[in-house]
Amino acid sequence: MHTTNLPAQLLRAAVVSFLFCFLSITALAQQSTIHGTVVDANEKPLTHVLVMVADNNLHLYSDSLGHFHFNVAGGATYKMSFSRLGFKPLERVLTVKSAEEHVHVQMKIANNQLSEVQVKDRFADERKQTESMNVEVVSADFIQRNLGGSLMGTLSRLPGIKTIGIGSGQSKPLIRGLGFNRVVVTDKGIKHEGQQWGADHGLELDQFAAGEVELIKGAASFVYGSDAIGGVIDVKPALPPAANATGGFVDLIGKSNNNLLGTSVNVFSRKSNWFFDSRFTYQNYGDYRVPTDTVQVYNYPVTLNNNFLRNTAGRETGLHLNTGYISKNSRSVFYISNVYANSGFFANAHGLEPRRVNTEQYDQSNRDIMLPSQQVNHFKVINRSQLAIGKHLLQADLGYQHNFRQEFSQYVNHGYMPPDYPASMTIPVDLEREFNKKVYSLNLRDKLTLNNHEVTIGFNGEHQDNGISGWGFLVPAFNQTTAGIFAYDKFKLSDKVLLHAALRYDHGKLNTFRYTDWFPTEGENLVRADNLKRNFNSLVWSLGVNYTPNNPFSLKANVGKSFRMPIAKELSANGVNYHYFSYERGNPNLNPEQSYQADLTLAWSTARWNVQLSPFYNYFPNYIYLNPTADLDYLYGAGNQVFNYQESRVSRYGGELQVRYNIASALSVEVLGEYLYAEQLSGDKAGYTLPFSPPPSALFNLTYQPAKAGILISPYLSVDYRITAKQNNIVPPERETPGYHVWNIQAGAKLRAGSRLLNFSLQVQNVLNTRYLNHTSFYRLISLPEAGRNIILSVKVPFGRSNSQ
Amino acid sequence: MKLTVKIFAAALALAVASGCSKKNDVQIDKEYPVIDISAANAFPKQCSVIKRGESFTFIANVTDNAELGTLGVDVHHNFDHHSHSTEVTECVLSPKKTPVKPFLLVQSYTIPSGLRTYKVNQTINVPADIDPGDYHFLIRLVDKEGWQTIKGISIKIQ
Repeated sequence: MHTTNLPAQLLRAAVVSFLFCFLSITALAQQSTIHGTVVDANEKPLTHVLVMVADNNLHLYSDSLGHFHFNVAGGATYKMSFSRLGFKPLERVLTVKSAEEHVHVQMKIANNQLSEVQVKDRFADERKQTESMNVEVVSADFIQRNLGGSLMGTLSRLPGIKTIGIGSGQSKPLIRGLGFNRVVVTDKGIKHEGQQWGADHGLELDQFAAGEVELIKGAASFVYGSDAIGGVIDVKPALPPAANATGGFVDLIGKSNNNLLGTSVNVFSRKSNWFFDSRFTYQNYGDYRVPTDTVQVYNYPVTLNNNFLRNTAGRETGLHLNTGYISKNSRSVFYISNVYANSGFFANAHGLEPRRVNTEQYDQSNRDIMLPSQQVNHFKVINRSQLAIGKHLLQADLGYQHNFRQEFSQYVNHGYMPPDYPASMTIPVDLEREFNKKVYSLNLRDKLTLNNHEVTIGFNGEHQDNGISGWGFLVPAFNQTTAGIFAYDKFKLSDKVLLHAALRYDHGKLNTFRYTDWFPTEGENLVRADNLKRNFNSLVWSLGVNYTPNNPFSLKANVGKSFRMPIAKELSANGVNYHYFSYERGNPNLNPEQSYQADLTLAWSTARWNVQLSPFYNYFPNYIYLNPTADLDYLYGAGNQVFNYQESRVSRYGGELQVRYNIASALSVEVLGEYLYAEQLSGDKAGYTLPFSPPPSALFNLTYQPAKAGILISPYLSVDYRITAKQNNIVPPERETPGYHVWNIQAGAKLRAGSRLLNFSLQVQNVLNTRYLNHTSFYRLISLPEAGRNIILSVKVPFGRSNSQ
Repeated sequence: MKLTVKIFAAALALAVASGCSKKNDVQIDKEYPVIDISAANAFPKQCSVIKRGESFTFIANVTDNAELGTLGVDVHHNFDHHSHSTEVTECVLSPKKTPVKPFLLVQSYTIPSGLRTYKVNQTINVPADIDPGDYHFLIRLVDKEGWQTIKGISIKIQ
């Protein structure tokens, strides 16, 4: 099977020594080897098929070529069973006559009601093999096992993925150290548009509604357009239910740290072609707890009541309705959703600004939400349709989104603001900021299959209207229109080599609107932002290759250019952000940010080993950066430090390493490592890193996952030990962050109750209640430690006629 | 096969090497500047009292490991007790009240370039017709690299 080389020899030695353990027990006189190959209906090799030999107490997995082999006593008869998720289990009886026996097993896709889900599971493997970029596919099962405070929090277990978070329920993704507007999040095919630029709020997504999440680490502008510089998080809805199924699930969730109680109820039904799938999610949580009783806001000691971080409680609701028509060659589905969240900010410091708190009033209840706080509502209507005609697959996505976010805070007359809030003001006295965004999107695609080419041509268009309100000013109102066209060719050169080439052109237009202060500064109402019109053009490309020879090794490589249109804040901010004591000054002359990235993914996959190394190099000729200067501005800045948007050359590199070893059929160990280095090569901060650079970290995991244990079906017990290094690579106004070690435990199982399977998941996060600081947390600057021990229990209860899970 | 293994090993070596290699470090400044008001003659200090219609001298010692940038002062009322100081000790606050004509001072002072230490000695006039009461005396100090240090002192104007 393998020619001689070191990894193969090591592997073989490991396999042989493992087998030897069994063989020595059975003490054989005469030995035969059974060689097998497992394939699917198209004769394609099937990897990860569990092969069990009942009489021999033997468990094996097929390798990436579908091969397996084991030694048995000759002359005997063996019953082998084959199983793999998504395929009908098979049994074979074999009488061993010669020293070498060969078995060929063909498995068929399971045709039960869950088939679509299971086919999807296989699709995930295929997706990784036919994409030259670094793709990870995460299932709803992963989300349930690793449920975090938000969808992005859950995903941060993956190497290369981190979050910028605030509180226990809000976080934004960081892919290899890039976040905010450098990461695209798409939800049901449409780019999710909120206030991506802010660090103090999260994404308006309901993690219970996510069917599957696909993550692309690296530049992907050629498909996703502007902003997809750092990567893409593509949140996919649950698949439509199977035909003639009616049913649903009730999820119940409890968390000990912030006393969260939540539920998500899902009801679906499908006749033959028409279906609906609805969901209601509600979560209510109190203040979260940190492993400290005093927090230092500068030198001022703030005492916490029973470790509760004052005023960090929140509520979330999610309403979803997916409905549509599915036939063999066409489908059209409407997705309607509304996600609402209301949460408090830590009361003793609003950003970096210390705040005096009436502790008696604030500590009366851990569940109330007082000032400062935020509310956000995100409403979406999306239609996705597709039609297959001959060699064409035509797809159209149409979307409308309304993102409405408000930030509430006591009126404080910063700088030159009048000491008393004038009675003549129409803006409510506690409304500090308001952002009102309406987004219209249209995506069109034609996927054409011609011989060995798979050509996709597409169009993406988006229009945004952005309004603002509140007595604070950061960003002016603006509207923006973008349109892009792309062509992408996937060319199958041979069975082993797949080539990718893509080209994309974008045009964008942005108008910002004049904003004048509502109060005078030294006798004059200052104009903070003027009317500004800018046009942007961009041409980007991407080239890639997949090399999958018939051995455990595979390689993919991708080189590409990505871009990002400057946002309104970068072009025309001119306000004081009192939360940071910063006066942020935009630069109306900024060009579209450009990025060149090279990605490599090397994988080694056998029945026992799964190794993946994915280094990358990334260069920005003009990274747009908010630079803290040495100046204070007396007039516009009301005495605050001037922060200027500037362009600098930036070089970044790093990568992830994933190693999994199956010790036995039910026992595996895994190591996930990540490393990132970023450096500004020019500008005022040449030599410094970029803000929010995650430190290196490694996660060690041990998972025990037998098929059955007593009454427990598919139980699992998994321990994560994460070591995070210190981060001394900082840039103003960051602080060096010490390293830390954190333990997490995940366990769960399915239990039969009548004809149904109840799915239990238990998690203990931060098992030892370790006090540590997260370098990329919003609260890092005021040295707030991360949440303490948190026990999460969730139960999924199915009902209805579709209960094969 | 041999080749693929070599590629794999080379890439791994490269990744490890790039991760561990110490670059020819340009020494970057990671230190915040320091505002020192511990000297006996420094003024104001936490809970200091200042008189209306008079002037006082703001005396402090500011230092930085590399080079100082700009210094600023912001005096604003705290009649609503909206915020506390950055200091360990708290001062006794007068009852909350509505501002009529509170004192407001936003001022920045240029520090001559190239200095690592600077003695602040600035006269500040307090008008006679302003509201007496609790105030914050906020000192901002920025160094050349953009590190900012803030000291918020509670004072009383009588």
